[in-house]
Amino acid sequence: MSIGGDEHGLEAAPAPAGPNGSVVYFDGTTSRRRLVALVFADRLELHEPLQAVITWPYDDIRRADSPIGTLRLTCLSASALARLEIRDAALAAELIARCPRLDENRPSRGGAAIIVGWSLAAAASIIAVVLFGVPLAADRLTPLVPQAVERRMGDVADGQVKALFGNKVCDNAAGQAAFVKLVNTLREAGGLDPSIQTAVLATPIPNAFALPGGRVYLFNGLLAKAENPDEIAGVLAHELGHLRHRDGTRNLIYNGGTSFLIGLLFGDVTGSGAVIFASRSLVTASYSREAEQNADNFSIDVMHKLGRPTKAMGELLFRVTGKQGDSSLSILASHPMTEDRLKRMSEVDRPASGPPLLTAAEWNALKAICAPPHK
Amino acid sequence: MNQMTFVVPPQPASPPPLPLSFAGDRGEFRRLVTRGAALELGTVGFYRFWLATDIRRHLWSNTLIDGDAAEYTGRARELLIGFLIAMAIIVPVYLAYFIAGLEAERIKAFASFPLLLFFYVFGQFAIYRARRYRLTRTVWRGVRFWMSGSGWAYAGWSLLWGIGTALTLGLLLPWREAALERYKMRHSYYGDLQGSFEGRGWEFFKRGWWLWLLAPFSFYLFPAAPFVYAAYKAVEWRWWLSGIRFGGVRLESTMRRSALIGLYWKVIGWFLLFAAAMGAYLAGCAALVASMHGVAFTQFLKTSALVQSVPLLVMAGVGYLATVLGLNIVMRVYLLRDLWARVLASTTVHGIEAAANVSAKGELANALGEGFADGLDVAGF
Repeated sequence: MSIGGDEHGLEAAPAPAGPNGSVVYFDGTTSRRRLVALVFADRLELHEPLQAVITWPYDDIRRADSPIGTLRLTCLSASALARLEIRDAALAAELIARCPRLDENRPSRGGAAIIVGWSLAAAASIIAVVLFGVPLAADRLTPLVPQAVERRMGDVADGQVKALFGNKVCDNAAGQAAFVKLVNTLREAGGLDPSIQTAVLATPIPNAFALPGGRVYLFNGLLAKAENPDEIAGVLAHELGHLRHRDGTRNLIYNGGTSFLIGLLFGDVTGSGAVIFASRSLVTASYSREAEQNADNFSIDVMHKLGRPTKAMGELLFRVTGKQGDSSLSILASHPMTEDRLKRMSEVDRPASGPPLLTAAEWNALKAICAPPHK
Repeated sequence: MNQMTFVVPPQPASPPPLPLSFAGDRGEFRRLVTRGAALELGTVGFYRFWLATDIRRHLWSNTLIDGDAAEYTGRARELLIGFLIAMAIIVPVYLAYFIAGLEAERIKAFASFPLLLFFYVFGQFAIYRARRYRLTRTVWRGVRFWMSGSGWAYAGWSLLWGIGTALTLGLLLPWREAALERYKMRHSYYGDLQGSFEGRGWEFFKRGWWLWLLAPFSFYLFPAAPFVYAAYKAVEWRWWLSGIRFGGVRLESTMRRSALIGLYWKVIGWFLLFAAAMGAYLAGCAALVASMHGVAFTQFLKTSALVQSVPLLVMAGVGYLATVLGLNIVMRVYLLRDLWARVLASTTVHGIEAAANVSAKGELANALGEGFADGLDVAGF
C-alpha cells in the first residue's frame, strides 16, 4: 500500500504540476532537483516519469521554513531531509486543505507564554537562592574552610593590599609597643588566638580593615583623626570581630556565588551589564550591612568586658564620614549609616569602669607611630 | 562525401555566474526581533535561545542559491540543553581557575594573568564547535552541510596565530585569518562535497594594509573610527567570500569598500537618537519629581534628593530598559538582516552545476559548543 497508486483508477491521472514544473522534490539522499507531478489520492502521491511513485500520508506532512511564495513540506514517515517545494499558489492551497496536521510542530501562540512562565520561575528560583541559599551556604561553608586555606587567601590579598598602599608599615619602637599592648588587650578580651597579625600602614586614608587568615590593618589616617585610645580600640575590636566571624571568607563565598548566579540569570543580553551591577550592589550591600552590624556587636561586647565606653568609636566614625543620610541611598550602602551606628553605640554606652587601655604617654607614642624614630 | 559540413558542436557553455539573493521581508524581520527583544527582557534573557533560532530560521530560509532557499533546522530546545550542559562543565572549570589563580597570586601578585590564555583557548574551541552545530543545521536541496576536524586543534592553531598577531601589533592578522579559515573550510562539507578556502593572507593584506595603518589614529578621531571599521569589515567579507569553495562551486564577492559605511552610520544615528530621547525623558522625570516635592527644578538638581528619590530611580530604570530594547532591535535589523542582505547582493556563485547531484553525508553535531560560546561570551563563525 505504500508504493503505487494504480488501485485508484481514474484518480491516478497526475494533477497538472503547474508551468515549468513548479513542484520540486528533493529526496533527502541527494541534492538532485526532481520535478514531480502531484496526485491527491488517499495519500499524496509524487509521480516522476520512469520512477516508482512516492507516497506521503497527509497526516505525516508538516510545513518547513520557506521564503514567501513557496510552500515547503516535509514528511515524518519519509527521509528527514526530504522536501517538497510548491510554488503554484492554487496547488499549494489544495494540498494545505488536505493536511490536517500541517502546522503541528510549529510553536503555537501559547509557546511564548510557556517560555515566559518557566523563565520567570527559573528567575524566582535563582533570586531565592541568592537571597536565602547563598548566605546559608556561606555561613555553613565558612567553618569548613581550613585555617591554612584562609591564610593563603589572606596572603594573596595581603600582597595586593601592600602593592596598592605602597607597603609602608609604621613601626617606630615606642608606637609599636603601644599598638601591640592595645591589640593584645582587645584580643584577649575577645577570645582570639595570638596568631593574628596587625600593623599600621602609612596611608592618609582614614580606614581600617581585616583580611581573611587573621590580619588587621589600621591606616595612619584614622589614627590622626582619633582623639583618645577608646576610639581606636573600638575600631580595632570591630575588625577583630570580622576575624572572629571569619567575614572575609564568608564574603568571598557569598560574593562569588551571587555574582555567578546573577550573571547566569541575565546572560549576555546587550545592556544587561547595568542590571547585573545594580542588582548585585543591592543584594551584597544588605549582606555586608549585616556583617558590619555583627562586628559592631562584637566590638561593643569587648568594650563592655574591658569596662570602656562604646560611644567613642561612633564619635570617631562620625568625625570621619559626617552625617551620611543626606548624601547616599541607604539600601546601596555597604555599612550602616554612621549616624545610626553612633546612636546605637551611645545607647549601650556605660560609664568607664575599667582602667584606661593606654597611658597618656603610650597614646602619644601610638599617634606618632609613623613619625621617624627619635634619635 | 568529402565535403563534410563541419558543424562545430555548441560548446557546453559554462553557465553564467548566478547571483545570490535574499527574499526576506524587512518588516517581518523587524516584527520578529521586536517581539523577541521584548520577550528577552520579560524572561530575563532566557528567551535568547528562541530568538537566536527564529532569527537564523528567517535569514536561512530567505537565502536563495540558484533559486532554491536554504533552511535552518536547529531548534531552541537544543540550544537550551547545550547551554545547561555547558554550564555544568564551565562551573567546575571556573572554580579550578579560581583556585589555580589563588595559588599563582600567592607566589607573585597579579601572576594569575596568564591563566586568561586558557579561557582564550576555551573560547576558540567553543567558536569552532558552535560553527559545527550551525553548519549541521543548515540544509539546502535536502542535503545538509557538516563539519569534521577537532575543536581543540583549531583552538591550538588560533592561540599560536593569536600570539603571533599580538607580537606583530596586528600585522599578521590577514595570515592568521587565512590559516584559520583554511582549517575550518577544509573540514566543512556539503554532502560529499568537501570545502576549501583559497583566500591568501597576502591578498587580504594588499586590500586592507592602509586600514591597519589608519586604525591607531581613528581611535582618537571619533568620526573616523566607524569609517575605518566599516571599510575593514567590507574588505574582510569580500576576501572571505571570494575564497570559499565547495568542490567545483566557487563564490565571488564584488563588495565595495564603502558598502557597509552607511549601515554603521545608521546604527550610530539611532544610538544618538536614543541617547537624546533618554536624556529628554530623564529631564522630564526629574522635573516631574521636583514639582511633586514642591521645589524649583534647578534647586532640586543641586540637592542630594536627586539621587535619593526612589520614584526617579524607578523611572530611570524603565527608561533604561526601553533604550536597551530599542538598541537591541536596531542592531539586529541593521547589523544582522541588512548586513546579510548586502553581503548576499554582492555575491555570485560559479560552477553551481557541481552541486546538482551531491550525496547526503555527515552526522548532526550537538549544541554544546553553542552553550560554551554563550557561557564564555564569545562569538564568531
